[in-house]
Amino acid sequence: MKDELLTQAQKLEPPGETAIREFAHKWENIAATGTRLLMGRPDLAKLVGKGNEQMAEDNNRNFPRFMLSLFSDYQPAVFVETVLWVFRAYRSHGFQTTYWAANLNIWVDLLRKELSEDAWQQIDPFYNWLIVNIPIFTAITDTDLPGFVSNNPDHLHGTGTQK
Amino acid sequence: MITESLYQEYLTLLLEGNRRECARIVQQLLDRDIEIKTLYADLFQKSLYEVGRLWEFNKISVAKEHLVTAISEGLLNLVYPRLFDKTVSDAGNDRKVVISCAANEFHQVGGKMVADIFELNGWDSQFIGANTPVDHMLTHIQDEKPDLVGLSVSVYFNMPALKAGLAAIRGNFQHLDILVGGQAFNWGGTEISRQYSGTTYVPSLDRLTSLIAE
Repeated sequence: MKDELLTQAQKLEPPGETAIREFAHKWENIAATGTRLLMGRPDLAKLVGKGNEQMAEDNNRNFPRFMLSLFSDYQPAVFVETVLWVFRAYRSHGFQTTYWAANLNIWVDLLRKELSEDAWQQIDPFYNWLIVNIPIFTAITDTDLPGFVSNNPDHLHGTGTQK
Repeated sequence: MITESLYQEYLTLLLEGNRRECARIVQQLLDRDIEIKTLYADLFQKSLYEVGRLWEFNKISVAKEHLVTAISEGLLNLVYPRLFDKTVSDAGNDRKVVISCAANEFHQVGGKMVADIFELNGWDSQFIGANTPVDHMLTHIQDEKPDLVGLSVSVYFNMPALKAGLAAIRGNFQHLDILVGGQAFNWGGTEISRQYSGTTYVPSLDRLTSLIAE
């Protein structure tokens, strides 16, 4: 599965310098707006786990910084491995897989609105890759978390089910 | 040589926050004349990586991780009598290195270890700390005129800051050799040495030692 992710990631074209500059110029405001929207969600505690709101906020600030680093010198292996690390670490801390679906949709909506059409067209494939592969990230990190109480919504039955 | 049982004992004490007993183990190793590089790589670095992994799997809190880092940094001080041992200082080579972390990079233990390895090899080694602004670093380089600069970066999203630092050094000091390293390179990005002339990526303390010897 990881090889397939890497193959897909290798097909992504890094954005051009102008698009990267625009992203660099706008990400802080977009992140601030996105964080407000995320923190305002009534189901936040369910998405990120009780007491993890600060962690979600930090993640939302670090995420665009990572994407900017990635765009500036695109390394498919870094993209794949870092995303898997994030899924492993944050799921271990109680984040639900639905968190990424919710938060990535916020990011996509804001980026589409705030970036120029040209920059958006170049940057969107990376966010789309993240969204469509959530089930794969989940499946891979399921096997990385031995004895893990699944927080995949498909397996949730009240308090969670031991795998 | 650090046995697995000694390492496990040290790790357990470290996770308990038992600074005194960790110091006892380190001091015993130093008294047995352990090679400093071995101590750094096989005890300090290995345990810090393990602690990072334990945080990743939610086995320990951020507070515990910070405690472990603080203890580990403090334990580096036990090595200093060896670093400045007379026989070592007599072998000084009159070369100077400045070690810094990229701007916005707050993980500094690796950079400190690198600075110590240089000192151990007779260099005048100056570690100027975490999160050093580029302009201050440039001023320091201008004042100190080192033979070499080392930059450490632990978190991948600080790569742009590292590159800004490299570009600034190269723009101001055309012939100054630069080393880069750190955990941010774990999954890629090592081609950076091809993007900035006179820049060498150093993957480990072992490689650093052999580079210094060349």
